[in-house]
Amino acid sequence: MTRLSRRAFLASATAASAAGLLCTPAIAQSSDIVVGTWGGTFGDLLKANVDEAILEPAGWSILQEVSGPVPRRTKLITERMQRRGSMDAALLADFDMHAAAKVGALEELGEETVPGYGNILPFLRKSHSVPLIYSAHAIVYRKDLIPTPPASVAELWNPAYKGRIGLSDFLYTSNMAYAAIANGGTLSDFEGAETGVQAWRELDAKLLPSTEAVGQALASGDIWLTVISAARGYSWRKGGIDLGWVIPEEGAFPAVYEAAVPKNARNAEGGMAYMSALLDPAAQAAFAAKMGYLPTVSNGSIPPELEAEIGFTEAERNRLWQPDLDFIMENQAAMLDAWNRILKG
Amino acid sequence: MAKLVLPAGLLVLLLLGGPMLLMLRYSFNVFDPLFLMKQAFTFENYARAVADPYYQKILTTTILVALACTALTTLLAYGPAYWLARMESRWKSKLTILTMFPLLVGGVVRSAGYLALLSTDGLVNAALRGAGIIAEPLQLLYTPGAVIFATVGIVLPYMILTLASVIESIPRQVEEAAANLGARPGRSFFRVLMPLSLPGVLAGATLVFILCMNAYATPLLLGGPQFQMMAPAVYEQFARASNWPFGAALAFLLLIVTVILTSLGSSVIARRYRAG
Repeated sequence: MTRLSRRAFLASATAASAAGLLCTPAIAQSSDIVVGTWGGTFGDLLKANVDEAILEPAGWSILQEVSGPVPRRTKLITERMQRRGSMDAALLADFDMHAAAKVGALEELGEETVPGYGNILPFLRKSHSVPLIYSAHAIVYRKDLIPTPPASVAELWNPAYKGRIGLSDFLYTSNMAYAAIANGGTLSDFEGAETGVQAWRELDAKLLPSTEAVGQALASGDIWLTVISAARGYSWRKGGIDLGWVIPEEGAFPAVYEAAVPKNARNAEGGMAYMSALLDPAAQAAFAAKMGYLPTVSNGSIPPELEAEIGFTEAERNRLWQPDLDFIMENQAAMLDAWNRILKG
Repeated sequence: MAKLVLPAGLLVLLLLGGPMLLMLRYSFNVFDPLFLMKQAFTFENYARAVADPYYQKILTTTILVALACTALTTLLAYGPAYWLARMESRWKSKLTILTMFPLLVGGVVRSAGYLALLSTDGLVNAALRGAGIIAEPLQLLYTPGAVIFATVGIVLPYMILTLASVIESIPRQVEEAAANLGARPGRSFFRVLMPLSLPGVLAGATLVFILCMNAYATPLLLGGPQFQMMAPAVYEQFARASNWPFGAALAFLLLIVTVILTSLGSSVIARRYRAG
């Protein structure tokens, strides 16, 4: 019997592992789609309504790569020079996706490559990404504590609410957009935003570390009003908090979540199939029912009673701001710095 | 003998030295909003980290919290460590394991527990209100006190175990000799036991101070967004601002300050120990 020496064993094991590693891209290209996404409820909804309901019956196998949005954007940007990236589809908020598109990291999308692309609502259509859900960062308030709906952005600085204004630390961009609009600035210069944030500090606004903390503070009455997505307001209201939300007369910051295929995706075909599945009316309806986000396609419909709860009127939709994504991309780090210095310094 | 060190040495070199060298290089680069980082060789990030009052304040808070936690931990740990070291019952090994028990629960999970304990409608406030001691809930969460309290809870086992092993090595007879010579327990502690256990205090305090200087989850979860310490500030530069060069500079600033303060503390105590 031939004895396998230790060295021979190590050599064969290394060779076998290397062969296995070399085979991985080929396997990935066949049916695996690696999707960079958020986890939690969002990831579960994708799994149930996109992965298992649409793509797996068609023979695709989905692997969710869960991370925060900034590391995901960083990956898209830093991997763009590599021959093969780590994701076949990536999900991000519109302003993060814009940065990835700007550096040329994303594949161009269209009706030929993504079935259903033609159904995207015109105001959400882009050449390098598809929108999967949208809502608006509205003024969400406790109806029992603020009987008159806060119709203007100025209400966020109403001295009557001193100590009861909540600010999500996570949504500093939207909060600063509100501060800019309230102080005579525009979304292309954010002029006056720092003045508004300083005024929040003087009004003892509560800075909250997470979306969940905002929900808890609204529930306990620690805060009476805040800027957060109307979809969140809907979820929390379903959970029993007496909440209302307003798209102020000056408008509101849109909350759009998008998906794209990296140019260096190992499985571009799978990535495109994923884009198409995200636009499926049934998948979009599931996001609306569970999370309160609105469909982004013209062929997507949600029950009228749900539409009445989470939908925006045409006038409200027309009031949604069109953020200057180039400006945000160029200045986001500076905005975060100013936000931190004023509220945490 | 050198061969014995090789595997561990290579591992450290690969998993610690490599990434640290990479980070050191990044810290001299320049941030770019579009491409995230541009190759350069500038000390600008370090200059900003050192000169900016905002980061000076964060560093000061970090040092003060670490010092407070180290002092509190030392005070709280000495009694249990002495008791554990001098114990002769069959429970000794079980109690030693019990001391280590908190280390089996991760820092994040433990901090989540403290959240439930200290929040406005948490256990502490509910108990105080239930007992009629307070009418309105106390703000316990998102305060420096909450961070110090929770951090001490996390690092206490390190200090107890380090001190216990050193006290154990001090012969019981020296305390008996002191008592024989008429020293009261307090005098015996300060003149005999304390000086002899100083190397343990030093080792434990160094370990605890380093852990506290680099605390991440506890200040983030229990201090709230307005309470700033260095490790969360470093993470924020990487994960929120995407400013890797400045984040790397902040990380090295934290490392340098920790090394300097630890060496300074060690040398001062060692000198005092030698003098005593």
